Amino acid sequence: MEPSKGLRLLRGGLLLAGIMPFSGPAWSQPSSYLDHRSFSRELRSLVDGSNLATMTSLGTTPGGREIWMVQVADPRGTPLDQRPGILVVGNLEGDHVVGSHLALESIRYLLSRSSEDAVAGALRNHVFYFFPRLNPDGAEAMFARVKWARRTNDRPWDDDNDGRVDEDGPEDLNGDGYITVMRVPDPAGAYLIDPSDPRLMKRADPTKGERGTHTLYWEGIDNDGDGFINEDGPGGVDLNRNFQHAYAYWQADVGPHMVSEPETRALMDFVLSHRNIAAILTFGQSDNLVTPPNARGELAAAKVLDLPAFADASNEGVFRVGLFAGAGGGGRGPGFGGGGGGGFGAGSGGGIYLRGPLPGANNDPSSGTRPATTVNTGDLPYFEHISEIYRRITGIQSVPVHRTPEGAFFQYGYFQYGVLSLSTPGWGFSAPAPGGQGRGAAVAPEAAAGGPPAQGARTGGPPSGGAAPGGRGPGGTGQAAPGGGPAPQGAVARGGGADAELLRALEELGVQAFAPWTPFQHPTLGAVEIGGFLPYATVNPPFEQVADLGAKHGQFLVELAGKLPKVRIAETKVTAHGGGIFTVSATAENVGFLPTSLRHGQTARAVGPTFLQIQVDPDDILSGADKTTSVGILNGSGGRQTVTWVIRGRPGSQVEIRLHSQKAGRDSATVTLR
Amino acid sequence: MSTLRFLAATSLAAFTLATWPMLAWQDLPAQERRGSDPPHTLDLTWDRWLDHKEIGERMQLMARTWPKFLTLSSMGKSYGGRELWVMTINNPDTGPESSKAGMYIEGNVHGNEIQGAEVCLYTIWYLMENYNRNPEIKRLVDERVFYIVPTVNPDGRDFFLYGAGAGARTGHVPVDEDGDGLFDEDGPDDLNGNGVIEQIRKYVPGQGTHRISHDDPRILEAVPPGEKGDWILLGSEGIDNDGDGRVNEDGPGGYDPNRNYGADWQPNYIQSGAMDYPFQLPEARATEEFLRARPNIAASQSYHNSGGMILRGPGSAWYGDYPPSDIRVYNEIGENGERMLPWYEYYIIWQGLYTVHGGAIDWYNDGHGHISFSNELWNNNQYFQSPLLRDQQQDQRTPISRGLSRYFFDDYLEFGEHYYEWTPFNHPDYGEVELGGWGKLTSRVNPRFMSMELFHRNMAFSLYHADQMPLMRMGETKVERVADGLYRVRVDITNERLIPTITARAANHRVVRPDLLTVSGDVEVLTAAWVPNKLVPGKTQLIDQKDLKRILVRDGHPGRTTRTVEYLVRGRGTMEVTYSSVKGGTVSTTIRLQ
Repeated sequence: MEPSKGLRLLRGGLLLAGIMPFSGPAWSQPSSYLDHRSFSRELRSLVDGSNLATMTSLGTTPGGREIWMVQVADPRGTPLDQRPGILVVGNLEGDHVVGSHLALESIRYLLSRSSEDAVAGALRNHVFYFFPRLNPDGAEAMFARVKWARRTNDRPWDDDNDGRVDEDGPEDLNGDGYITVMRVPDPAGAYLIDPSDPRLMKRADPTKGERGTHTLYWEGIDNDGDGFINEDGPGGVDLNRNFQHAYAYWQADVGPHMVSEPETRALMDFVLSHRNIAAILTFGQSDNLVTPPNARGELAAAKVLDLPAFADASNEGVFRVGLFAGAGGGGRGPGFGGGGGGGFGAGSGGGIYLRGPLPGANNDPSSGTRPATTVNTGDLPYFEHISEIYRRITGIQSVPVHRTPEGAFFQYGYFQYGVLSLSTPGWGFSAPAPGGQGRGAAVAPEAAAGGPPAQGARTGGPPSGGAAPGGRGPGGTGQAAPGGGPAPQGAVARGGGADAELLRALEELGVQAFAPWTPFQHPTLGAVEIGGFLPYATVNPPFEQVADLGAKHGQFLVELAGKLPKVRIAETKVTAHGGGIFTVSATAENVGFLPTSLRHGQTARAVGPTFLQIQVDPDDILSGADKTTSVGILNGSGGRQTVTWVIRGRPGSQVEIRLHSQKAGRDSATVTLR
Repeated sequence: MSTLRFLAATSLAAFTLATWPMLAWQDLPAQERRGSDPPHTLDLTWDRWLDHKEIGERMQLMARTWPKFLTLSSMGKSYGGRELWVMTINNPDTGPESSKAGMYIEGNVHGNEIQGAEVCLYTIWYLMENYNRNPEIKRLVDERVFYIVPTVNPDGRDFFLYGAGAGARTGHVPVDEDGDGLFDEDGPDDLNGNGVIEQIRKYVPGQGTHRISHDDPRILEAVPPGEKGDWILLGSEGIDNDGDGRVNEDGPGGYDPNRNYGADWQPNYIQSGAMDYPFQLPEARATEEFLRARPNIAASQSYHNSGGMILRGPGSAWYGDYPPSDIRVYNEIGENGERMLPWYEYYIIWQGLYTVHGGAIDWYNDGHGHISFSNELWNNNQYFQSPLLRDQQQDQRTPISRGLSRYFFDDYLEFGEHYYEWTPFNHPDYGEVELGGWGKLTSRVNPRFMSMELFHRNMAFSLYHADQMPLMRMGETKVERVADGLYRVRVDITNERLIPTITARAANHRVVRPDLLTVSGDVEVLTAAWVPNKLVPGKTQLIDQKDLKRILVRDGHPGRTTRTVEYLVRGRGTMEVTYSSVKGGTVSTTIRLQ
């Protein structure tokens, strides 16, 4: 494949030191990011060359593309669905194409090194399920003639709810192949050129005597003549906003409801029918792996770019146009007069006695358990431990940009599926971000929360008013607030955004991530300048990094597999009392690192019990435990629990005892009654 | 056999009509028609509970009988492969479905809450039988579209009717309730094969928790603290099917199908029975696809049992109440419902019932912009209705006092049909026990002989509800020449009924396409404005939109309200003004510029 123009522009030095060259005749690697057709072919050739991998389509996207699932495991031995499994999902956000390539390279790593002991062990004891590119519709935009960083799939969607679908997308006005930002001199503008870096824009702060000089828009024209530019482009749903935890009801790009898309539904149905999945790794635009949750179980505050967010904000007013109330009509009250006399009962409405619904049982409105919104402190050490391993292997100490994970799949994975569930952009910098991404600056709990909103909270629950679209639009920056402004999504906005910091970091590495402002005569706005961050440049590394990063993530997955829980029956004991009466005991042990269930896995009733079961008729149990007895959570590194039965049996006969754990495998032992 | 009886009855009706033409009511003089009820086109009986197959047959029969109005289709299939039948009632002479406000009515989402299905069937039948008789019914059918789904849980319904009655609330997607990797392997069992799951009691003299009541030997009452009884209760009839030492721990399904919808959905550990994601269940998903394809639906009803309630959302207080303008609409319909349904009370779900996350009618309101109710059919006060009997029920000395009245009713009015005497049984796990107690068709399900009133009153409420859906009309127009070729045009636009074209909640959620006020013709619209009150001179409110020939009205048109729009146009000839709403229809008026 010929590298795209964008990638040639992006050619730069490798971000990380200590590259381990990776080679092998059967494993030649692509030289650029791949479109769906080439990516599928690459997956196919990997799988076809191995008896350790299978590839299945689990559905098609609204754009008609296959949703691939690649399973990697040594099929000999324990049935796959009884092995602790690891799920890897990449490219949920359409523009995060690197995620799919990291998944691809991880598969390559496992297959090409299957003869090495560590990898062979992982493939023998575990099973890996990869959804390398969950959002092929969105990813395809990277390979279009004009590059526009789009996160959404191809579902047609009336973003501005004006009765016309996808009627006002962007145009590459200056013909440079990219959709960037237009800045327009405007005495009523809200923004001014950042004096410390004239490429960047900042919001004018009147309390500091600053006066706005510019208005910002995404590059394009007002196709439908409604006064807004690019407010309803192609595409529908951001898949990593479409899951059940902290779902941002009715907000931009979240879909009509949770799990509304063929892609997200395919993934959900898969994880629900593979309860042996014991850990999840997603490549996405949120992070809990480079920076694990803090001591209160909160994730680090989002780090987003101001410039795209400012351009997004140009369409904030779209839902206010057309409100009768907003037209000065004085609210929704009646105009005048009554309607026609039609309808039985009509006409009696004005005079009838109105008292409202009965109070009924007077239930306490505040009653009921609320969903967890922070990581259980009992689970934190595991997140921290895995984070250390990740940073050691990948060398990544900070990530370029990352957003608030409302409705993100990895959050579902922990908060509702109950397993160790991780997200990483998959690339970054070897130095911690200066002043950013601190462990202390955390997302406000309500903002990150699931379902029901606290009174007045803006996210997680249904907004009560016509809300501004948060973080939508081409190359939008997620739900964090444009710097200095009010935080529209409840996220903590650090003043100044991440623009300067990221630009500097990328430039130090020789990456060109910014198109300089160039004059352009716009058909309706007049003289404007067009420029800004290049689409894809801030969320994907230069392709030269991908092979190395992929191998490192493969190595990480092998180490992660080694951390999964694993149960066995460590001891059995039989005591004969005479007369065919025996005391039988069995001790279950977890010889892995992680517990058989995270604390929250139990709280959320998501992880099945680990239990011992003695294979005798229940009537022959005279005393002691029930036939089937849960052993609770077994901690890793040798956590044990013993169960004792008093049974009647034929001396000399054999009795089987089974140990069953949803996430930690199975074992059985046979004792002889004597 | 029931099917044969049913077919025999209908063919007899057909025979009667065909061979005895002099008695056909249409041919009688008006005078005689008033004096006697007309015969029905379909003489259906309403005193039996129908299984899914019979429901389908009855719907097919009605669709064949009234083909012009009725279209029978399926929303999809249940997990068990049963059709989710939906009857569309539409008069094609008054326009296609999408041009008229739709009323969606469903029943039986909980498998054991059966009588909603019969209310649905009765509604179809009643509308058709009375279309040519009653001008109000004719008007309602002509103005509206009805989508009627008798059962959205046919698997649960048949399990309830054919099984023994226990564990029938759920649908039948298998769930591993005990986490042993097996699905639905240990449910209740009808051990004595009498078609009912009874309670199990065991005689343990002096060691039990219950004793026989002095008032009636059929009553088993808990003993007060410190005393000993002779009986213990051992749960529902069943055995340890999977040999894991536990009885009935993983029956069919095992979830709540009415917690699987998309508004305020919460995971299982917060909302028991919610399943793993909204619309995971095939029945809920089919419903959602059906509704999404029919944005003209403006109102909905989901029939449940029991308790005698007219419920509106929200199901949970956390979710926040509806906007005031929507609440006013709900209150008027709900309170009139109380007047139509004796013993029924109008409640908010969380307040009057219990907290429900992810319920169907919440989603219909929040995700589709319906005004949606759920009626809990049947209230136990309907057993003894008169003030006299109500007083007696408070009196411990009467045979219909609180504890005894149920037995009295069964003895004297249902001839002992629903009570099962305790009978000995040798249980494989518990030894010598007794099985007995109340059968399934009581308490939550009304007595059959009282069905007709229940069906009719609830239907009447839903028809009243349907009649309140938005209905747009164009009113008076006025043209004034203000300069050469320049005209000031005023048009009155009315929503005749109570429900707005877009609820405030739907406008906030942006789930309904805005209303569109459009102009066509050889004119240029210079300004457009809302006139606050055309009878009072004064300023107007200019509409600040770019395209004045296509004005968006995002918050819709309120109920029982007329608005006046004023245009300043340049042009000649005629102009057509159209008000298009998704839920209240599209209306136009043509204005001559002169």
